[in-house]
Amino acid sequence: MDLFVAAFGFGLVSMSVIAIAAVGFTMQFGITNMINLAYGEVMISSAYVAYYLNRAGFTIWFGMVAGALFGAVFSFLLNRILYAPFLRKGTSHLGMVIVSLAVSLMIANLLLPIVGYFPVSYQEDPGRLIRWGSIALTRDQFIIIGIAVVLMLAIHALLTYTRLGKAMRATAANPTLARNCGIPTQRVIDAVWLITGALCGLAGVVAALDSDSFAIANGATFLITVLAAAVLGGAGQPYGAMIGAVLIGMITELSAAAWSPQYKEVVAFGILVLVMVLRPQGLLAKRGALAAAG
Amino acid sequence: MPSRFVFAVGAILLLAACGGSTPTGNGLGTGALTVGVIAPFTGADAGLGPAYYAACLPAALSINNNGGVGGRMLSCSKFDTRGEPADAVPAANQMVASTSGLMAAIGCTSDEASTVVPIIDRAHIPMFCMTGQSEFNKTPLKYFHRLVPADVYDAYAMVGSALFGPGHAPYKKAALVFGDDIGSQAFVQPATNAFTKLGGTIAINQPIHLGAPSYRTEVQAMLASHPDVIFTEALGSAGTYLKEVKTQNNGQMIPFIGSSATIDPEWFQQVRDAIGLNDLLKYYAGVDLGYTFTGPAYAEFKTNLDASAAQFPDAPKYKQRGSTLHLYDGIIMTALAMVATNSSDPTVYNPKIIDIANGTSGATVVNTYKDGVAALKAGKSIRFEGAGGQNNFNQWNNSQSGYILVGYDKDGGEVRAGELTPDQTSKIFAAGGS
Repeated sequence: MDLFVAAFGFGLVSMSVIAIAAVGFTMQFGITNMINLAYGEVMISSAYVAYYLNRAGFTIWFGMVAGALFGAVFSFLLNRILYAPFLRKGTSHLGMVIVSLAVSLMIANLLLPIVGYFPVSYQEDPGRLIRWGSIALTRDQFIIIGIAVVLMLAIHALLTYTRLGKAMRATAANPTLARNCGIPTQRVIDAVWLITGALCGLAGVVAALDSDSFAIANGATFLITVLAAAVLGGAGQPYGAMIGAVLIGMITELSAAAWSPQYKEVVAFGILVLVMVLRPQGLLAKRGALAAAG
Repeated sequence: MPSRFVFAVGAILLLAACGGSTPTGNGLGTGALTVGVIAPFTGADAGLGPAYYAACLPAALSINNNGGVGGRMLSCSKFDTRGEPADAVPAANQMVASTSGLMAAIGCTSDEASTVVPIIDRAHIPMFCMTGQSEFNKTPLKYFHRLVPADVYDAYAMVGSALFGPGHAPYKKAALVFGDDIGSQAFVQPATNAFTKLGGTIAINQPIHLGAPSYRTEVQAMLASHPDVIFTEALGSAGTYLKEVKTQNNGQMIPFIGSSATIDPEWFQQVRDAIGLNDLLKYYAGVDLGYTFTGPAYAEFKTNLDASAAQFPDAPKYKQRGSTLHLYDGIIMTALAMVATNSSDPTVYNPKIIDIANGTSGATVVNTYKDGVAALKAGKSIRFEGAGGQNNFNQWNNSQSGYILVGYDKDGGEVRAGELTPDQTSKIFAAGGS
């Protein structure tokens, strides 16, 4: 029983990491209609930005801010330089998926000679272990949970209470109508790439910090988990991605406690498949902040 | 019709001329020679390929600086198997089909050996494989060579380190933390057999999925089983796992014993960065084949390894990597076999590799390619003792030697910590069923 309680605590950390990444990914898709398969590589690129700053003597918390800024600028430029020209030419959704896959491979292969293939670690003391019953988490893990909670609340506030958030929702629902109503949709989309890119970059650093040791190959691993959470919650739905993150994060840790750790991803993705069979649109489709009314 | 015939004959002759050197049973031929390094360069075991590439480059330098193989210069080509049998098959097919002057292949780790070895063998290319899989203990494949013992012996050496290693009381309760890849899982059964029959207990057997972002729950379960020691080979994920052990165990490490694959500069760096140098030096014990890292063969290897940095900057890091030494020796022995038989036909020079490794009665011992060629030209038979030491191939092309117990120094150099006595070794072998 103690192990399950401990696994529950670890699940809180895992779901926090996944939530930051998945919400960014699903917002990007929900508003720009772009399935960006290069998301995982932007995450890992940001993690390396923080790594080199960390090696230069900066704290990992500074690296997190730098990683978020890098992710924002990188994602913004990716859209402006690579994706937007294809979209202007009317490239199909499937075509854009292939373009983003190509971009993902290009980033990974351009990064490889610079960072190498082998795992690296941040030089960061995770802090003392704080115990609460059988739950034992480090200071850093509590901070990660705190960051995720604050960001989720901030995303909720952004989408619900701000003019930008309302403009994002309008653009997501019907970009043509939004433009005709005077919403500068291009600037909204730029803002979306910056905000979701920042979430992506921050998620990369947080995930790398949480992993203790990371390598370039982790970009693809991150993407699979993020995709799973986003799809499970309902593609394009930020609240759905949060729920997806909770489920994927918890299930992987609890199943590792219940069975052999080899099967933890099998169980998590098995549940994803089951949900997709029973509810193909995902858990929160048409109910999230970005969904069209009705 | 005659013009068509002339055209066809002309085309055939043209194709033959474009085909480069043709292996023959008489003469070393012309054109460049290639050694195919078929191994994981990406994927969870990406640390293995570079170690093998670092073997090929100095061997090529050693051979090329001494006139090549009958004037034919040697180069190294990488073929990435990604550590997956399914990806390894096209890589092996590509290597065999598209590489001109392919004189030997090296690498073929446990991850992919089962699928690539038959392909290479069918192509009659001598290979030196870094697989410890038991299916190759008595293989009928003539072109397969193994310069390292089967995994079972690596596992026994780890058990020996736990029970008889220096500086600690015998460990009685072990956690088995091995990657879920084929190569790592090969250690589990022999380690379990030997350790339990000699009075130890297995606290937990934990196959971990390599490349996972975290192992928190796995580590919690492992700690709950209260092991004295961890046996491990989880390449690529060792840093993550061991850092979580330290974190969840209130900053305290548990002694951990690594397989010979953990004697690797990248593994050292990864684990050092994760748990800190002091804990790595204090809690790590490894096993390795008994290398001396001295002598003329090693000096020649080291000189050429350092010179290889021009092509592969990380090459000098592999100065004490056992597999790098052995594969280097394998390439030199193959080149000497070609010179000895005056043939670039693998069906002719392949059997000679064993003669050169084991030596025949009255053979002159040589330690470098240069000395070997000189001795052959003087009409002597030779025995090559290379950077990895003496070789003794059995009838199944397996060459085996004993293990030593090792650790690291602060720079990542291997330090000999002790060795198993013949009595201890025979006890473990008997317990393990060998």
